[in-house]
Amino acid sequence: MTKKAANSVRITERSLFYWILRRHRSSQLFLLLIIVVSLFFKVYPLEMQKRIINEAINLKDLELLYLYCGLYIGAVVIAGLLKYVTNVLQVYMGQKILVEMREELYSHVLQLPLQFYRKMQPGTVISAMTAELNAIGFFLGGAIAIPITSVLTFAVFLAFMINLNPLLAMLSMVIYPFELVVIPYLQNKYNKLNKERVRTTRKMANVVNESISGIQEIHGNTSYELEEKKLLIFVDKLYKLMKKLFLVKYGIKFANNFFQSLGPFILFLVGGYMAINGQFTLGALVAFLSAYEKVYDPWKELIEYYQSYQDAHIRYAQIMKIFDLDPPHLMLPPPEREAYSFEGNIRLQNVSYIVGEGVRLLEDINLEIKKNEQIALVGFSGSGKSTLALLIAQLYDSSQGTITIDGHDIEDLCKRDIGSNVAMIAQQPFIFTGTIADNLLYGVQAVTDASATVSRKQIHAVVRAVGLEDDVIRFGLQAILTPDQCAPCREKFLRMRQIVQTSLRDEFAQAIEFYDVDNYLRYSTIRDNIVFGDSMEQEFAVSRLPDHHQFMDLLVREKLEKPLITLGFAIAKQTVDLLADFQDDEFFFRDNPMEMKEFTSYSELLDRLKGPQPKDAGERKLLLILALRYIPEKHSIVSLPSALEKKILSARHSFLKTIVMVDIEQCKTTGSGASIVPIFSEVGSFIPFCPSEYLYTRSLRENILFGAVKSEQILVEHLRELASKAFADEQLLDEILAIGLGFEVGSKGDRLSGGQKQKLAIARAFLKDAPILIMDEATASLDNTSQARIQELLETDFRGNKTVIAVIHRLDLTPAYDRIVVLKAGRITEQGTYDELMDKKGDFYGLATAES
Amino acid sequence: MDSPQQSPDIEQVEQLVDIQELFNRSFIFSGAPGGVTKLFAYLAKRETYTKGEVILEEGKPCDRCFIITSGEVDIYQHYNDRRFHLQLLTTGSLNYFGELALLSEFKWFFSARAWTDVTLLSISREAFIKVMERYPESYQNTVKKIINLRINRFVDQSEYLMANIAPDAWREDPPEL
Repeated sequence: MTKKAANSVRITERSLFYWILRRHRSSQLFLLLIIVVSLFFKVYPLEMQKRIINEAINLKDLELLYLYCGLYIGAVVIAGLLKYVTNVLQVYMGQKILVEMREELYSHVLQLPLQFYRKMQPGTVISAMTAELNAIGFFLGGAIAIPITSVLTFAVFLAFMINLNPLLAMLSMVIYPFELVVIPYLQNKYNKLNKERVRTTRKMANVVNESISGIQEIHGNTSYELEEKKLLIFVDKLYKLMKKLFLVKYGIKFANNFFQSLGPFILFLVGGYMAINGQFTLGALVAFLSAYEKVYDPWKELIEYYQSYQDAHIRYAQIMKIFDLDPPHLMLPPPEREAYSFEGNIRLQNVSYIVGEGVRLLEDINLEIKKNEQIALVGFSGSGKSTLALLIAQLYDSSQGTITIDGHDIEDLCKRDIGSNVAMIAQQPFIFTGTIADNLLYGVQAVTDASATVSRKQIHAVVRAVGLEDDVIRFGLQAILTPDQCAPCREKFLRMRQIVQTSLRDEFAQAIEFYDVDNYLRYSTIRDNIVFGDSMEQEFAVSRLPDHHQFMDLLVREKLEKPLITLGFAIAKQTVDLLADFQDDEFFFRDNPMEMKEFTSYSELLDRLKGPQPKDAGERKLLLILALRYIPEKHSIVSLPSALEKKILSARHSFLKTIVMVDIEQCKTTGSGASIVPIFSEVGSFIPFCPSEYLYTRSLRENILFGAVKSEQILVEHLRELASKAFADEQLLDEILAIGLGFEVGSKGDRLSGGQKQKLAIARAFLKDAPILIMDEATASLDNTSQARIQELLETDFRGNKTVIAVIHRLDLTPAYDRIVVLKAGRITEQGTYDELMDKKGDFYGLATAES
Repeated sequence: MDSPQQSPDIEQVEQLVDIQELFNRSFIFSGAPGGVTKLFAYLAKRETYTKGEVILEEGKPCDRCFIITSGEVDIYQHYNDRRFHLQLLTTGSLNYFGELALLSEFKWFFSARAWTDVTLLSISREAFIKVMERYPESYQNTVKKIINLRINRFVDQSEYLMANIAPDAWREDPPEL
């Protein structure tokens, strides 16, 4: 954006060579130099060929032969290297130019008015910006070097040939004029077909793009065939085009090859005759033939260059044609001033907005909005209320009349003036890929250069104000933090755990079975009961335990191996017996250690087994895995023999002491304090379920709860609020909030609900803190509570410091506004306060009574 | 596969058998094929509540039916801001509540709380429907039983209310004209 000087040619009016000739001039000059130098090394081997035959071989002089051969190969190597350098330089320059072209074009494309995008299919823009520009990039690098090299090489070889024998040289040139006629003719045909191909491919891309965007509708209507047919038209057309295209393309190739072989034919005929008659030396003939072959290369290159130039030219012209529009406003203020800071007085005089063939969406609008006034725009759908809002936000440009902000005509304001003074919330806001924080700061960062102007406190306040706090906290609680992410707040998180463990213990004990090194955990897996911790590198994952020697030795030592395998066998047998008819329904496997997809393999395993203790290690492993996953209180398929509990507890102690070296006495001490795992920061270390440890393999929520969930319902319904309050009292919630702000929202924010997206967009606009706030049915998709909360905010925090223009559908929200402006068929029919308009019994009264 | 040496430890399967027996004795499932009660035994969730804790609340969406395995449950309803006790359920013959939740979606029209420490088994509507889809022949029978249970409860609650009703609610025959 900033690179664009005022006097430069508009991007879409530049020719292809504009880019090439104005960029990288020194690199291009250097390239030219290399090309000229390399010419010498191209011709030199030919001279050596002649001398090898005429002098060295003829005189039978070995020394001379070695010398010439040496010089020959030297020249060939140098010529090859120089060619390599030119190629690399060309591509390098081509790509550099492409980068600039793409950057400037993208910046231009983004600035194009909204109307442009109403008509333009995204597929067209995408394919133009990516694939088609790429194809041009390949041409760009060689755009100057190739023709110059080719012409020079051609001339040098021709001169060499004339020097050898002028007659032969003239003869071999005879065929070229023919080519000059035939090839361009064919090329012209090719170009036309190619243009059609580009167009058809774009249309096809649009069809695919549309059906992917509308895939839900397609599934809903089962309109698969309909959509296939739509595509088939273009697929068919493309097929026919490609057939023709290649017919011409290979026609050109054939013509080229034919002319190429015609040359040697003449040379052998005439040159051979002359050699036999002694008018020409054999060495000269060989050199001549080599030169002829060489002279054809630049010729061929020139033809190919011509083809790729035509191709690139067409693509380029087509791309530029699409975007050939002027952005309606300057991006930045002129250098002599900064962006304006407005108070928020808005005035519309005789404003009309006309689309297409004179359809008047807005007609003769006169409206004055004073600073800090709160205005509601209401009316039937199609009355033009949203259009009016968009005009004030400079997203559309009025066809007639003037709009001023603080006396400045909006026509003359640059985008930055509007951007810093107007915050806009769309009805269906767009959420960008990235974190919640990225999206929140989007509006602010767009108009300020430093990104750190918003404090954490401000962000949190806005998140709270729009009612997004609970959601963000939930995201924060779900996060699994790395030691680095956790480090700054580790103590605070452990403090939250402590609160749950101590002051809220009685309440939480209903929903959580706390980790306790001395108690059997009936809501945890047997694996968790024995291992009682996690390894950062998943060393003790269930699937890996049966192969873990120390662990298996421990099971044998503790006399647990056989009982666990028997337990696994019981689970397998009961499940296979009970669920044989239900093995295709995930529901029945929700509370079973066996997964649905494993049913068949366990069923087959049982068929093979003669008893609960198989000999085969693989079979034992399968049964052990089921047992290790077993949770007594959740998996009712079998019950845990009480004798096993004690054995497992003893195995746990032994595991902690001997295998992972954890001090069990330390693990019993509740409360915070230093970590008892000395090397906890080292990746791969073991983290036991001890009160002093942050469990880096678990979510923040699991870390705070520090136990297995007995009842999710109790937790959600009764305890969440309790904990929030306790944490808020100690200012601990901010940390969770901060982590939640790092939640990745997914592409287009699709990991968020509709309401969350809307609230995020509202928060984004509020954070901008602009003097003018435009809300286009911004709260329409929110539930009543959230809607009321936003409304409340307008009436308190924003009262007296922001001009608010709200397009509103729900009329019960309008009484709070200073003035209601009613639109009907593009005109303002009445305006006033709620009571005034209701008393008047006009259009507003009609709308209000129709609604109720 | 059912050869005797393959049977796992008796202790390990006891839990499922216990619940199954309980279900077999209960009015809703008695007479259903063994496969059905065993599946319900498998899908049932154990819930425990301490004395005074609310088990379900009027106005909240219903999703499961409960069977009492130990303790007492107080069924009550709010009317004019007052809490009206309707029934005290025990492990006896009326040891279930929320049975209509198996058949339809609605909001609880009563509340339940633990009168003593209580252990319950619950069966979700989802589980009920999933099983019944596979045993359509049992479905009709079960629906009938649930309706009969409802009638039993209705009679029980009406009798309780009539016994405790305010005197002015009692009416003579309509006056003859």
